Amino acid sequence: MIRIEGLSKTRGGTRVLADVGLRADERDVTAIVGPSGGGKSTLLRCLNGLEVFDSGEVTIAAHRMGPGPHPPQLLERVRRDVGMVFQQFNLFPHLSVLENVALGPRVVGRMPLAEARARATAQLERVGMASFAAARPETLSGGQQQRVAIARALALTPRVMLFDEPTSALDPAMSAEVMETIVALARGGQTMVVVTHDHAFARRAATQVVELVAGRITRAGPPATVLDP
Amino acid sequence: MTVYQALEGGELASVIARGELVWAADQEGGGPHVFPDPDDPQRLTGFEVELADLIAGELGVKARFQQGQWDRLPLLLGHTADCVINGIELLPDRRRDYTCSRPYFAYGLQLLARRDGPLDAVEKLAAAGPAGRWRVGVLTGSAAELFLRSRPEFEVDAIGYDGTIDSMEQVHSGVLDAALMDDCIFNFYADRFAGLRAVGRPFGGGYYTVLTARDTPRLSAAIDEALGRIIADGRLKTLYDRWDLGGRQQILALRDAAEIPIATRRSLRQLAVETLPVLLSAAGMTVLLACLSFPCAILVGLSLALGRLHGPAWLRPILTGFVEVVRGTPLMLQLYAIFFLLPKVGLALPALVAAVAGLALNYSAYESEIYRAGLKAVPTGQFEAALALGMTKWQALRHVIVPQAVRLVMPPVTNDFIALFKDTSVCSVITVIELTKRYSVLALSTGRIVELAVITAILYLAMSWPLSLLSRRFEASQEKGA
Repeated sequence: MIRIEGLSKTRGGTRVLADVGLRADERDVTAIVGPSGGGKSTLLRCLNGLEVFDSGEVTIAAHRMGPGPHPPQLLERVRRDVGMVFQQFNLFPHLSVLENVALGPRVVGRMPLAEARARATAQLERVGMASFAAARPETLSGGQQQRVAIARALALTPRVMLFDEPTSALDPAMSAEVMETIVALARGGQTMVVVTHDHAFARRAATQVVELVAGRITRAGPPATVLDP
Repeated sequence: MTVYQALEGGELASVIARGELVWAADQEGGGPHVFPDPDDPQRLTGFEVELADLIAGELGVKARFQQGQWDRLPLLLGHTADCVINGIELLPDRRRDYTCSRPYFAYGLQLLARRDGPLDAVEKLAAAGPAGRWRVGVLTGSAAELFLRSRPEFEVDAIGYDGTIDSMEQVHSGVLDAALMDDCIFNFYADRFAGLRAVGRPFGGGYYTVLTARDTPRLSAAIDEALGRIIADGRLKTLYDRWDLGGRQQILALRDAAEIPIATRRSLRQLAVETLPVLLSAAGMTVLLACLSFPCAILVGLSLALGRLHGPAWLRPILTGFVEVVRGTPLMLQLYAIFFLLPKVGLALPALVAAVAGLALNYSAYESEIYRAGLKAVPTGQFEAALALGMTKWQALRHVIVPQAVRLVMPPVTNDFIALFKDTSVCSVITVIELTKRYSVLALSTGRIVELAVITAILYLAMSWPLSLLSRRFEASQEKGA
């Protein structure tokens, strides 16, 4: 499902990724851990083309991306199959909760409005936010916003989900509610890559853990061997 | 100056004490009256320049020229200028509102049209032409305009211009069917417009007078005496002969000049009844101009901003250049170019279309800068979230970025709408009569400058106040949202 080979990237003379390689199969939950500034987020953003790289290759959901700028059509196909959840939620403030989730199916999936709304409602139910469908994002708590963001990313039934530190902007209680949502998804067989500082989550849900330090993979393997050596 | 001095003729005393007589005129398209010397554009020439020198000489002072817009020259009297010498026709309204000297020149009204056009006799104005009512250009506030407006039996739309050359240009380029002006003006500029011809002989007509403010008996008497001496000793005849204005015929016509009646002053009630409907319909034109042009300005401005931020690299400097040129040149010049210069390359736009296009063009440059700031103010995370859903760049802009930017810039955009509202008054330079122009025309023809100014200001406020309220509501909802 995901194959990364020899991925390298320099930014402003600093090496942010150095010869990174990684494999993940369908239903795998890959946790990327490591100190801040180690290149975790950059690696994740290379997987859906929000960042470009200098050399190497990324194959994700059967799409192959090479170094340098990607053609727009390829990016649209990749992102259609790869959902992403951001640290800062990035919900669209001018739309209601339901419209946030329905926008992808409507614009990218070209679904009729009624079908897009039905699908959005189903995703909101999945994250336990269906009763907030008419609310504006700014009226929700951080944890609720992040759950809506997860529903938004799921609405196009992506083959891979990317999570970029999904709980770092949340207090512990809200963090727990979001983590439960992600764990439930993982148990449901969703292939995902999660950048996180939360080792407890990695132990519970990850099938493999990768530790990235200064742009290099220092350890990789099952949670027990990487986190508790 | 005290009231006592004024009553005793202090205005003459102050002219003599100053050593100069300040006379006002409009040099724009002003031949043969007052115009820049073709050989030395710094210097003014014209028969009225010489006449002013003669009159001032008789008073024992020097003449000093003061530039003004022709139809508003009388407004300069009493503070900026001592008198107006600029082809001001002796009319009943003017005798009521100012002091008029004895006549110094006799004019006739000359109709002119294209040599190859269908209009070849003045009588033809009584029936519609091949393209409906005749469109005839006149100098705003002139006797020619008054003449056409006082003939409802004519199938004529009289269109007011700020200069006589402008209307000749427009006849030449086919925007107008004809122009009506003082015969001496046509004779003077006829060589420049070989494609135009005089239609019939001059008709109507009357006399030019030197205007001074009301209650200036000493100054006006002194000017009358000066004119009498200049006529009696033959200097005026010599002057007119030198300017090819027929000295002998002029002197004979001046000798036979009949007394012009003085118009009666309207009561306030009568004034309101007569002017309010006209002012209201002019206000309607102001609203129409603003409401047609601003949506266009917003659409073009937003497109410009999107093109500059997200368009192809080759397009960006072109759009930036466009914005800089439009922002860096005056609105009046742009309107002028659209209305008077485009017909020269075969694109003659009706005045209303030209006005809307000019306003939209001008404001689009300002709106584009506002929208550019608004688009940049939307956090990058929003763009990334939209892209991560699989949207194309333009889908992300349309569904996520632009709707947020539009909300952010609502207060400054509403503010610009109010500004545009008032800028519509500039459109009078291309013959569109909106509220300000209508006010100025009415104020001069009725002499009720202050009263009408108050009514006009109230009308403007009544239109812009709701906009201000709307703008404040947007701001309040923004703050609540933030």
